[in-house]
Amino acid sequence: MMNIPNRKEYLQQQSQSGQQIMGVLPALYPREMLWAFDILPAEIWDPPGDILHANAHLQATICPVVKRSLEFILKEPDIINAGYLFPHTCDSLQNLATQVKDLIGVPVPVYSFYNPKGEFNRTTRQYYTDILGDFQTILEQQHGSLDRKKLSTACKLGHKIDSRRLELQNARMTDRLPLSNSEYFQLIRAGEYLQPEDYLKLLDAISIPDEPIPNDKARIMVSGILPPHPDMLEYFDDLHLSLVADDLLAGSRRIPRIKLDPPQDPMEYLTERFFLLPPCSTKAGSLDERFRYLNKRIGNSQAQGVLFNIVKFCEPELFDHHLMVKALKDTGIPVLSMDTELQGGLSGQDKTRIEALGELLRDRMVS
Amino acid sequence: MPPRLFVGVDVGSLSTDLVLLNDQGKVLSEIIIATGVNGAEAAEIAFDEALSETELTRGDISAVTATGYGRASVAFATGKTTEISCHGVGAHQLFPNTGTVIDIGGQDSKVIQIDARGRMLDFTMNDKCAAGTGRFLEVMADRLELDLGELSNPLNLEGETAPISSTCTVFAESEVISLLAKHTPREQIVNGLQRSIVNRIWSMVTSIGVQGEVTLTGGVANNKGLVLLLEAQLGRPVNVPDNPQIVGALGAAHIALKGYSQG
Repeated sequence: MMNIPNRKEYLQQQSQSGQQIMGVLPALYPREMLWAFDILPAEIWDPPGDILHANAHLQATICPVVKRSLEFILKEPDIINAGYLFPHTCDSLQNLATQVKDLIGVPVPVYSFYNPKGEFNRTTRQYYTDILGDFQTILEQQHGSLDRKKLSTACKLGHKIDSRRLELQNARMTDRLPLSNSEYFQLIRAGEYLQPEDYLKLLDAISIPDEPIPNDKARIMVSGILPPHPDMLEYFDDLHLSLVADDLLAGSRRIPRIKLDPPQDPMEYLTERFFLLPPCSTKAGSLDERFRYLNKRIGNSQAQGVLFNIVKFCEPELFDHHLMVKALKDTGIPVLSMDTELQGGLSGQDKTRIEALGELLRDRMVS
Repeated sequence: MPPRLFVGVDVGSLSTDLVLLNDQGKVLSEIIIATGVNGAEAAEIAFDEALSETELTRGDISAVTATGYGRASVAFATGKTTEISCHGVGAHQLFPNTGTVIDIGGQDSKVIQIDARGRMLDFTMNDKCAAGTGRFLEVMADRLELDLGELSNPLNLEGETAPISSTCTVFAESEVISLLAKHTPREQIVNGLQRSIVNRIWSMVTSIGVQGEVTLTGGVANNKGLVLLLEAQLGRPVNVPDNPQIVGALGAAHIALKGYSQG
């Protein structure tokens, strides 16, 4: 049984013990560099509770990730003491950075990190190395010079975490992971706020058997930005549906596609790592590449169907979604698309859709 | 040896429908009652009515499949299946060449593609909104002071139509109120409402496509005007069962029969 600390309690304890904590928005950022500055990055985009304050600052058609992040910033200012980091994931999050910094105002620094977009080549690699350097310089203004040894140690720790997550992901695809759908995503999401040493212990505590665990579950892959709501994951468990693979920005899109060599030069390692992450709608890359990647994962995991878990008003994902669904259906893969609001349980209609997808997949297994 | 008997019960948001079959697939009883506030109780009442009508007891029934949004609450069910699968199977039983099922139920609508054996191939369903459903028509009938039968008068396809642009039930009701305030004839508003539902369904149809014969199920299939308009929009005839409300329960009963036969 996993013992995962509660996010709020853990961060409160860290804060009370003098730990510097930076509130981070989704999704891709150089966590190793923050660790090297003794800063704990904590993702803040999914706090529980109602949205009471954020709506006053945002239009109605903004995605719940932005709304919930702002709600946290307005409601829980005491936990975050080292600033907020806004990676350039989408225009809505970038606009939120502007609002928080220039219009709302917070008592801690607000940072941006402009990930490269589009085609990746030598120029974009150089650009990424440059922005890493710029980010280092900006952090040094607040936190003093970067200790290169600490960065090297942080990269080694990050490498171990990535390698372990890759092993767990592969174990899940081959029925060797002794975790339910809910437990797997709890484990993955613990990486959003735990100290790397604590997180690695948690990952290492999962033992992976050599042989597959026999089961007769229907196999699904989930794609989108965020993992399905815990209620949905439990419902999959109830229905004997196994999420054998994912293409989630909060999940496998953060794990390099292959195991990297152990880091030698930290900056080179971080650059290499970024460009080995799977294709993602927020990086505005080639749709063909993303489709090929998705197909490969479907093949490797023997997923029988794909569930798109779409965050409402998520522009980058919605641009790709329609074309991905069409391309998958053309190859005969059943697809179900569901909207998510992050919080709130499953409606009867949601349950019916999921159950119907399960029935469809089981019918195919029988025939 | 007496014939084995099978029941399908569809606990919907507006009505609870039950079908009793023998092992040859012959329908022995069909019951439709209002669901009210307690779906579990409605299912019990419908079951008892069917048994009373056929002079049977619960012990005579070999298997029961529950479907509909209240499927999990049916205590006497031996299995449960979604209404999406059940409407596919039910439509296939009634019209074996069906390739596409359009089900417009009380609180949701669905388009289902099925294969030559009635098995689901793909589906789409409306999302958290009553637009394009039976409840939409009920709300509008109330507002227009018409009963549902009057609201289903065959549409005059050439006649004038009041545009109801919104596909949200609440906003559409506001539009209807505005039209009434402008003394727009009720027939034109009814035309507009039917067109609004068909447009809503059409967007779902286009998302998964049409194949084979089209069968319309669910209580809204009793709306003759809407059927005419849907046929015009699809450019092909639509199969309408004699009792479209019962198709989900019929499919559930056949699933119970098949499941029992296969052990």
